Amino acid sequence: MITYVLRRLLYSIPVLIAASLLIFFSVSAMGDPLAELKINPLLSKQTVHNIEQRNHLDKPIIVQYGYWVKTAVTDKFGSPLLIPGEHIWNDLRRVLPHTLQLIFLSEIFALIFGIGIGVYSAIRQYSFFDYVATSFSFLGFAMPVFWLALMLQIAFTDIFIKWHVRIFYTSGLSSENPGSGIHFWVDRFQHLALPALTLMVLSIAQYSRFMRASMLEVINSDYVRTARAKGLVERRVTLKHAFRNALIPLVTVSAINFGALIGGAVITETIFQLDGMGPYFIQNLFSRDTYAVMAWLMITATAVILFNLIADILYGYIDPRIRYE
Amino acid sequence: MPDPILSIKDLTVDFRTEDGVVHAVNHVTYDVFPGETLGIVGESGSGKSVSQLAVLGLIPQPPGRITSGEAYFNGKNLLTMGKKDLRRIRGGEVAMVFQDPMTSLNPVFKIGDQIAEAIHAHNDVSNKAARSRTIELLKLVGVPTPERRYDQYPHEFSGGMRQRAMIAMAIANEPKLLIADEPTTALDVTIQAQILEVLKKARDETGAATILITHDLGLVAEMADRVVVMYAGKVMELTDVRTLFEAPRHPYTVGLMDSLPRMTVDEEWLRPIPGQPPSLISPPPGCPFHPRCFLSNGRERCREEEPPLRPLGPDGHVSACHFAEELEGQQSKQVETPVEAAGSKG
Repeated sequence: MITYVLRRLLYSIPVLIAASLLIFFSVSAMGDPLAELKINPLLSKQTVHNIEQRNHLDKPIIVQYGYWVKTAVTDKFGSPLLIPGEHIWNDLRRVLPHTLQLIFLSEIFALIFGIGIGVYSAIRQYSFFDYVATSFSFLGFAMPVFWLALMLQIAFTDIFIKWHVRIFYTSGLSSENPGSGIHFWVDRFQHLALPALTLMVLSIAQYSRFMRASMLEVINSDYVRTARAKGLVERRVTLKHAFRNALIPLVTVSAINFGALIGGAVITETIFQLDGMGPYFIQNLFSRDTYAVMAWLMITATAVILFNLIADILYGYIDPRIRYE
Repeated sequence: MPDPILSIKDLTVDFRTEDGVVHAVNHVTYDVFPGETLGIVGESGSGKSVSQLAVLGLIPQPPGRITSGEAYFNGKNLLTMGKKDLRRIRGGEVAMVFQDPMTSLNPVFKIGDQIAEAIHAHNDVSNKAARSRTIELLKLVGVPTPERRYDQYPHEFSGGMRQRAMIAMAIANEPKLLIADEPTTALDVTIQAQILEVLKKARDETGAATILITHDLGLVAEMADRVVVMYAGKVMELTDVRTLFEAPRHPYTVGLMDSLPRMTVDEEWLRPIPGQPPSLISPPPGCPFHPRCFLSNGRERCREEEPPLRPLGPDGHVSACHFAEELEGQQSKQVETPVEAAGSKG
């Protein structure tokens, strides 16, 4: 098992290098990041030249890549292009935990509900529950995220106005004086609940459909029939013999989902004004701060690679055939 | 004669599919007596396995449906008994060995634990006792170094070894009836012989009555005491194994025998039964075998009247053919060397 994990870790190194090359060259292909500054009449040629010098933008692109990698490794991505005093890492270090809190909150509940609904739908295929669950998951797929987010905001704002009860906050990450310790986290939960719910609806829809399909496939397999022929109680047949095998496809889907969401649920985070990865990316994209954008992309790529690694390790745990290959 | 241990009466099983209702098993009746080995032969889709799976409540319902019949095991009707009681019999008094050992074991659990689970399901024993019993069973079915093999996964076992493990699982609770559903079909010929030995040993060890479902007449000749021949979900002929090979009284049985290659004669061509197995959604009227039958020859009665199973002698030989008597005296071409010639697949 340890060699398996180590080998997977080693595999991710070349993937990360490939990702950095791809990120650097495709972002560079967007054009000269200083183009707007150059035509700005308020800036002197010297100022623009200084920025160019400082970031080695006058060198050939391959050399630029070398400098970029060097800064990324030794100085944690260095400074943004336009604000030399600041540090990219300081921003990322602030927004990344916010996004992680949001994602873990929404995805863990989504997994619990999605798996539960999927398994039950499969066991009671074509039952009333199954039809209801199916209808709701299609609804979840079809519902635009921004619409749901706005509806939740309206609903909970109305509740507050009418009855003066604050169940969940509708924007921001914390109240003005959130307190500390347990009070801080209760307050944080009240702020993250609605955006998490927004993300959860789509995820539950997705996970429950996947779980239902793979459970149905497994439930008619020969080894489940063997388990029944042994005289096991039905609960043990489905929840032990079928369930573990049916989990394998879901591991892939949820790993991809986790990785992708680290990049920020741009729309949800923007609507709920969360200081997360999504708004950070959008702001820097609009101000054409290519260095901040590239740093953000590297973090996202690392997250995707990391979650794939976790998925691989989970596979090995669930399915012994993968462990030894 | 002693009371039968399993008595199937008028069993009918349907499957609802998009193309129509498949009549997989039609009014099947037969008995299994304690200690005997009953062979059930027939081509693919003749309802051999389904009749057994249905009795144990192992066909998926829906689409499957048992529309009529009774199945008495030790005097209790398996088809009407509660789920809980049926579960206690499954894997306990009645155990099953399946066709494909590659897919019949759960890939994510250890072999030993899967066998021990069968013990736990029917006995209140400690984990330690179940483990040592499992190792004993693995030794009995000829798995070498069972202590080490216990902790291995199915993918670390060869096909033959997996089937041994399946047999060990089946005899774990000393069943009174062992149902072997094509136990050697998925295996190499050399392994087939070994598994056969293990099955015989398991049968002798437990004294269980055995139902051997197969399309291999060689296996039947080797193992069975009595034989049921099935076609299109119906019983065509039922008799003891000697009579079946020496004096078959159903043209389908004769056809099966004749389709075997003979080792004693230099032959260029095999002699298959002409035509295709009938559709089970809309089976031919009258006798289901008449379109392929050499006796029928367009006789009206075969087309219009479904032949009932009728006794042909005092020894319990029954056949579902209007003209079974015409086969009298006409010996099967196989008869000179029934066992040797039957060594290959039917």
